Amino acid sequence: MGSTWQSILVYTFIWGSIYLLISLGFSLVCGVLRIFHLGYGAIFVIAAYGTWVFMEDVGLGLIPSIALMFLVQIGFAVAIFYRGVFQRYLEEEETLLTMAVLIFIALTHLANYLYPVTAGVSIPTTLIDDILKIGTVKIAYQMVLAALVGIIVTLVFVAMFLKTRVGLIIRAMSQNIQAAMLMGANVRKMYYLAIVLSVIPPTICMLMIAPFWGIDPFMGSPLLMTAMLVAILGGLGNLKGSITASYLIGFIHASVSFLYMSRFMGLAALVVTLIVLMIKRGGLFAGETLW
Amino acid sequence: MLEVKGATKRFGGLLAVSGVSFSVKEGEVVGLIGPNGAGKTTLLNLICGIYKPDSGNIHFLDNEITGLASNRICRFGISRTYQIPQPFEAMTALAGVAVGVLHGKKRSHMSLADAALEASYYLEFVGLFAKRDTLARHLTLYELRMLELARALATTPRLLLLDEVMAGLNPGESSKALEMIWSAQEQFGITILWIEHIMKIIMNAAERIVVLQYGQKIAEGSPKEIAGNAKVIEAYLGGRHA
Amino acid sequence: MVSLEFKRDRLQLRWGDQKYEWEIEPRYWRNPAIGVLLLAILPLFVYSYPNILTMFTTANLYAAIAIPLGLQMIGTARVNFGPQLYLGLGGYTSALLNLHLGWSPLATLGATILACGFLALLLSPTTFIAKGLYFSLITLILPLTFLDVTFIYGDIFRGEVGLTGMSALFNLGKVRWNYLGYFYVSLLLMLLYLWVSDKIGRSRFGVTLAAINENEDVARMMGVDINRYKIFYFVFPSILTGIVGWFIVHTFRTFAGVTYLPLDFMIKILIIVIVGGRAYVYGAIPGAYLISAVEDSLRALGPINYVVFPLVLIGLVLILPRGEGLWGLYHKRHHRDYFPLFHVRR
Repeated sequence: MGSTWQSILVYTFIWGSIYLLISLGFSLVCGVLRIFHLGYGAIFVIAAYGTWVFMEDVGLGLIPSIALMFLVQIGFAVAIFYRGVFQRYLEEEETLLTMAVLIFIALTHLANYLYPVTAGVSIPTTLIDDILKIGTVKIAYQMVLAALVGIIVTLVFVAMFLKTRVGLIIRAMSQNIQAAMLMGANVRKMYYLAIVLSVIPPTICMLMIAPFWGIDPFMGSPLLMTAMLVAILGGLGNLKGSITASYLIGFIHASVSFLYMSRFMGLAALVVTLIVLMIKRGGLFAGETLW
Repeated sequence: MLEVKGATKRFGGLLAVSGVSFSVKEGEVVGLIGPNGAGKTTLLNLICGIYKPDSGNIHFLDNEITGLASNRICRFGISRTYQIPQPFEAMTALAGVAVGVLHGKKRSHMSLADAALEASYYLEFVGLFAKRDTLARHLTLYELRMLELARALATTPRLLLLDEVMAGLNPGESSKALEMIWSAQEQFGITILWIEHIMKIIMNAAERIVVLQYGQKIAEGSPKEIAGNAKVIEAYLGGRHA
Repeated sequence: MVSLEFKRDRLQLRWGDQKYEWEIEPRYWRNPAIGVLLLAILPLFVYSYPNILTMFTTANLYAAIAIPLGLQMIGTARVNFGPQLYLGLGGYTSALLNLHLGWSPLATLGATILACGFLALLLSPTTFIAKGLYFSLITLILPLTFLDVTFIYGDIFRGEVGLTGMSALFNLGKVRWNYLGYFYVSLLLMLLYLWVSDKIGRSRFGVTLAAINENEDVARMMGVDINRYKIFYFVFPSILTGIVGWFIVHTFRTFAGVTYLPLDFMIKILIIVIVGGRAYVYGAIPGAYLISAVEDSLRALGPINYVVFPLVLIGLVLILPRGEGLWGLYHKRHHRDYFPLFHVRR
């Protein structure tokens, strides 16, 4: 019994931190731009397959590939998602969301066409190829490192939002955009910054979890779903909520997997989310603010 | 007709309305005044069912309407206008008023044509018949206010709550609006509870005035009494003039 | 005595001592009649190409899903990103009951209506409890979760392969006649949905619908019982979508959740609403036919069609007039028409 609870604890920590890394960008876009980035899954696809393309087809090493892929990622987010979709269709929200999903679907199928699952895409970002033993739980070092990276990135973001001037402006924008404009915030630049910041956590996440999560062209969808569930449960656009919700969902997944059957983890998380929404409308930290 | 007893509403740390009690008799025109932030619109929202009071109760025609849903309160005979006009922007004026006609009372078998006919009567009463096919987003402020009045009248209220009808109107439009309200009161026999900032109008129009400050009722009486009341003067102009 | 008289500008029916009159104003029903006629004689041109006929049948079904969706989005003032949940629910209900319990198509129709109605009723509080954004997200996630469930209980739902061999709705002997029959029944279904939506839109309920979509709180203050209307406009279109699922099961006789539940399918339906023109329910028909034609013609390209199809859809949204879509090309907007703006965040 003790070992089951140890497993649950360890995996709650691991998965919670990874989910946090997955959903950080989504919450940021939600909180600041007040838009649902339904094309968020594309970020994961570009991260994985972009790196692969640079490594295999262009023949660069791992680090240069990652660097170039970051550039592509940022360019894509700014040019296609922000300028192409969000700015154009701000008034027609259903068109905006549909276009974002279409871009995501097109990218997914492109990845599937060029590099189907059989092509064996993998990114060798394993830092330590060993198994760690925590109490009775055996876990790959890479997973622990991924979780730690998740926590570090989150701390960096939180520190930025709480301590720096830019973070303050972004927080103000998330609360009341007009007041922020009146106070002299350069809202346009901050939007660009928010978009750029939002692609960083998922890209890092993809790089860290690639060795053990497995790369397949259609992985963007379940990852987007996780991000959305965390965002809904925690309160849309709220970082405190995302942090709490990530670990809560990690805990639900871990307990359902170890105490019952792992097939039901997704369903359990959804049911809990719906129940929380019924009790506390708006999620756990329902406030129209980023923090 | 309307009895408010001890209505209280808190928003987090802010006590918006605190223990306000007053009553409105049938056929009266009662003014509700007070400095900004006194809680007048919140009190109106409490009467209309948009917020539920934390304590206290509200009775209308001997029915308890505290905390009921807005549509039930409308069926009892209360309707309102809004401080910032809230028309149905993409609908024509006629359609907007027709919604009020169809749902103000229990009218299960009224066809759209009949509702449109009755709506056009209300539009004609407020002088908007020529604009009946204009989308509400293309109307001027005065026309929007009149549209709100027509919409409120279309639900056949017994009590009409007016929220700063005169704000933003020039003097010519103000007097036209005032006349409209008078003729509405005569023709439809409605009681009016009126929030207003423009003292000249409300002092002349109202028979009785209730004054709020910081969520509490500080005075009640005829316009003359209120104008001379020291507390009211202090609330508006500060202690030195009291 | 019953007599039907056709006077110059009206139709008069005498029934005993009661008289019913209908004005005949050709300009109102001439274009719709021409449209319906065109659709009805469409098969004659493609009689020898049964796969094109299937494409038209599929188009009719797409439209039959998009029309209730439009009604639902206006009536609940929420954008529903997962109408295909009821398609899947209806389909699986009919398929399982038919395969394992041997129920006839008519009986499974009843079961589908009950199942979809029950689930929709259960979920209907989300239309007025959850803010618009949360509602949209929840509706987005639910079909994907349902898909997960079908994989979890793979032995019942048969996962990717899907259920096959359900009884047909009718059998006219020759395969060609079956295809023709399916086309006409799907056409009838779609036109029925169109007629119902049109009737609702033009009646006093249509004005109420518009009011709910514009400003819920003001409408509530005017006496509209918002919650009751929202529940109705959530449950009714969901049942209609479920019936389409039932139809798919008994005509195509194979049903797999993977075809209808994921995002790809949802996008097709949403695109039809957007490209067809969101203000006019009729726009769903040209939208559906266009999407179905594009989909089928791209299939000839081979596996790359999965990439090209979304790109073509993106192109369509970019090219066609904003908000009015295909129908806007045909219909000049009268200043009085109600042109809804859907808001996801409310």
